[in-house]
Amino acid sequence: MDPVEKKKGKGRKILGVLATLFILLGLYWGLVKAPPDAFQGDVQRIMYLHIPSILTAYLSFFIVFVGSCLFLWKGERRDDILAHSAAEIGVLFTGLTIIEGSIWGKPIWGVWWTWDARLTLTAILFLIFVGYLMLRSLIEDEHRGAVCGAIIGIIGFVDIPLIHMSVYWWRTLHQPPSILRPDKTPWENIDPALLWPLSINFVAFFLLFFYLLSLRIHLGETEYEVKRIRLYGET
Amino acid sequence: MGPWGFVLLAYGIVWSAIILYLGIIKMRLRKAEAEIRLHTGSGHSNHVEEK
Repeated sequence: MDPVEKKKGKGRKILGVLATLFILLGLYWGLVKAPPDAFQGDVQRIMYLHIPSILTAYLSFFIVFVGSCLFLWKGERRDDILAHSAAEIGVLFTGLTIIEGSIWGKPIWGVWWTWDARLTLTAILFLIFVGYLMLRSLIEDEHRGAVCGAIIGIIGFVDIPLIHMSVYWWRTLHQPPSILRPDKTPWENIDPALLWPLSINFVAFFLLFFYLLSLRIHLGETEYEVKRIRLYGET
Repeated sequence: MGPWGFVLLAYGIVWSAIILYLGIIKMRLRKAEAEIRLHTGSGHSNHVEEK
């Protein structure tokens, strides 16, 4: 067994255990210990999933952007595997953000969905990266698929600043940001009784993200090895 | 549906989807590692088996 891989596997297991602990702590704090919101009541507890989910999706697509730029610059397979892996996880978390937002929107706004600027741009982000994944699976030429994917990955990332600024540029039903605000820190904007469980869930989602990314990269490398063996045989 | 109905629906969907995705990755990984072992014969691989 390769010692580097053995070390990576051990690190991945530690990351998985840490993520599980923080997820359980986040669930307890978010569902049991945190008080209900003064205006929204218990429904506000969806926030402990919704904000960490979208920020995890943003982080995923930032990694897609970096991996894609590096791949187009250097042409190394590992950068493409990084971008492809992060894109898959980003699609998962963007899809979950849309579902959570819809479930939160129904009791608060009275509708499951509205063509609000932020919601629409988030749906566009989701569709761009679903397209990215479909393209990667449809193009048989590995290198061509990677180049096309990298171009879509870079273009798709441009949607994120638009999503973030949409609540300032257009009149939207969606509230302004609670965390990433230029004028206020989160401590000034959110009561500590709500900010603590939110912070714990941020840590849980980021640990989970890095665990999933590490596992998905390992899968990408292993599947590449399988393809190589099928084409050229064991060397 | 009451407020807790919406909360539990959201938490249920999110964690079910994440566990499902994790299961799919691990299944694909086991399949790929089994194929590498099959081709190399000796069971030696550059990749670590996830347990």
